[in-house]
Amino acid sequence: MTQTIIWTIAIITILGAVLAVVLFLVAKKFKVEEDPRIDQVEKVLPGANCGGCGQAGCHAFAQHCVESPDLGACFCPVGGNDVMQKVADVLGLKVEAKDPMVAVVRCNGTCENRPRTSEYGGYASCRVKASLYSGDTGCSFGCLGCGDCVSACSFGALSMDPQTGLPVVDQDKCTACGACVKACPKNVIELRKKGRKDMRVFVSCINKDKGAVARKACKAACIGCGKCAKVCPFEAITVENNLAYIDFNKCKLCKKCVAECPTGAIHAVNFPVIPPKPAAPAPKPAVAPAAPEAPAAEPVKKEE
Amino acid sequence: MKTTFSIGGIHPNDSKISKDCKIEVLPLPEVVYVSMAQHLGAPATPVVKPGDTVKTGQVIAEPAGFISAFVHSPVTGTVKSVGPRKDLAGNNVTHVEISVEPDQWAEGIDTSDTLVVEIPQDNKFILDRIKACGVVGLGGATFPTHVKLCPPPGKKADCLILNGAECEPYLTSDYRIMLERSKEIIVGAAIMKQVLGGCRTVIGIEENKPEAIKVMSESLAELQKTAKGFDGIQVMSLKKKYPQGGEKQLIDAVMKRQVKSMGLPIDVGAVVQNVATSLAVYEAVQKNKPLITNVMTITGDCLPMERQHNYLFRIGMPLSYIAQVAGGVPESAAKIVSGGPMMGKAISNMDACTVKGSSSLLYFTDEQTRRKEASACIRCGKCADACPMGLEPFLLNKYARNGMMEELEENAIQDCIECGCCLYSCPANIPLLDVIRIAKGDVIRIIRGRAAAAKK
Repeated sequence: MTQTIIWTIAIITILGAVLAVVLFLVAKKFKVEEDPRIDQVEKVLPGANCGGCGQAGCHAFAQHCVESPDLGACFCPVGGNDVMQKVADVLGLKVEAKDPMVAVVRCNGTCENRPRTSEYGGYASCRVKASLYSGDTGCSFGCLGCGDCVSACSFGALSMDPQTGLPVVDQDKCTACGACVKACPKNVIELRKKGRKDMRVFVSCINKDKGAVARKACKAACIGCGKCAKVCPFEAITVENNLAYIDFNKCKLCKKCVAECPTGAIHAVNFPVIPPKPAAPAPKPAVAPAAPEAPAAEPVKKEE
Repeated sequence: MKTTFSIGGIHPNDSKISKDCKIEVLPLPEVVYVSMAQHLGAPATPVVKPGDTVKTGQVIAEPAGFISAFVHSPVTGTVKSVGPRKDLAGNNVTHVEISVEPDQWAEGIDTSDTLVVEIPQDNKFILDRIKACGVVGLGGATFPTHVKLCPPPGKKADCLILNGAECEPYLTSDYRIMLERSKEIIVGAAIMKQVLGGCRTVIGIEENKPEAIKVMSESLAELQKTAKGFDGIQVMSLKKKYPQGGEKQLIDAVMKRQVKSMGLPIDVGAVVQNVATSLAVYEAVQKNKPLITNVMTITGDCLPMERQHNYLFRIGMPLSYIAQVAGGVPESAAKIVSGGPMMGKAISNMDACTVKGSSSLLYFTDEQTRRKEASACIRCGKCADACPMGLEPFLLNKYARNGMMEELEENAIQDCIECGCCLYSCPANIPLLDVIRIAKGDVIRIIRGRAAAAKK
């Protein structure tokens, strides 16, 4: 009995020692020289493996940074400027600070603003829905409301608002990795500059239909009237294909366009509220109170 | 011995309620909107501008690529606008708006009903006519016909199959034209047969249409007796099974040959054309009449018998106008489908207009169409039994939901023909096809991208 145990231990020990030597030799022979800086860079990265930088993960991004001659084309949106500075320190390179970005939902087609014209009963996925038709409202550009962006977000920054039927971005959690931008089949979500003190002005609509058509489909649509472009002192607004767009690099947050917009399609967020003014523009996208059910549209236009 | 395809398939109730309704000609509306995307491939480029007067059958748009087609004016009148308008899925497509005046046909078009049996001998002339008249496949895919009739070099057609299966429930437009325009269809088949080099020609009709089989056989026998060029054409009765009208299924049923994955019918020597396409070919070649009309079925279980119709429509007629002429939308209709109930699309925009390939307005009640809540897959394998392409939809569904592209390709998701048999047979009401269709598109994009990269 004792002998069996001794033999077993002896054999296992010898076997282990032999295999260790073999492994050592193999590792020596087939060693892949990897730049030690890759590991160092990877250590300072957030490690979310979200792919927001355009690489396959944090290790691939680290490799990309090490191989690039300068860091101009490398940016980790999750880590932001702090992390990029650390990466630059490791590599002995310089990096320019980039403006922090945030995901912005450019649709204000709430249940109240945009009455339903048909009923969708198929698989609850925006991609599937978009492949079948333009959506269950008169607007063929806006949010489909099935929440593909919410499931694409690895940081829990997006959620569907059951009252408006639109996704809401939690700007503190959003890392601007761009996963939601890619997931949205309608390109409703855009990455925009977070703005000074998080204040930003944007057109919350991407409807390219002519004014009357757009207005009929949604009360809060951009009708492409061009008033905002005229009033903008900084030439930040362009109107193309019946749709206004604010260039966030030129916008100086004067909010003149917000006051001018006849449909309220331009939103200004996180501006301090000035109470005494009678008609101060809404500081946040107006959240519709429980919208009354839209007048029963033609019952025929239902969709699978 | 009646034949059918070898794997899968289902037997839905055929519900051919409107089969005894004769084809009626729809009166013209006041305005038509002609879509530029009536065919597979690049949308056509309009060649008219607002203010132009056009005659019926005049070219209003030219093809914008190799796979594209001419579009002709379906009416006489004045072009009012050229611009975006919503199609039946609500997406913007360029339409030409024409206000309608009394019909005046463009020159050189034979509008008489006389049957022209003599087939022109010049194949190039025939193909040019087919192209110039904007003929596209009317079996559903609207693929330009002249492209399909020119096999790539090195490939030869052994058999032309005329698809008269009409395996989709409810639809009766092909059935009606086989009864009412049988000789024209057969002449069209003889023309295509000659272009393809005189191969064997089979007109495949499902056994649930005995009248059509009888009429087509009689017309064929009569033509074979009286004219030349009709030898080697036969009418074949097929067992009733969905999706018999699928190209690959029909080739299997008629020729007992299987098209390989990602292959084309011509790889096994087959060319498949719908009977309605054959009729369009006849009109194009023998009458120089462009494809501006087609037959559509207005039906549904909730419609009384006198409101079931088979209409000869012109392209560009608003669907709401057609519904109104047909007696209005029934109260109990919850969903309107264009195309068959299995593969057709629900219409979200009744202001959309008819196109060359429009085949029906089907009214369904809420009870008939509302999806039941999906439950878990119990791996019963019914979807795999039903799949006519021999795929395993339950597996593809699982891989697709997890984005496993390599596994999807290994399991041949790219072969899916989107017939809906899996969805129809699933006892757990899992939206199999919805998920598979999207993933199939992704996989095909990957395969094409790889092929393009390999070429470089």
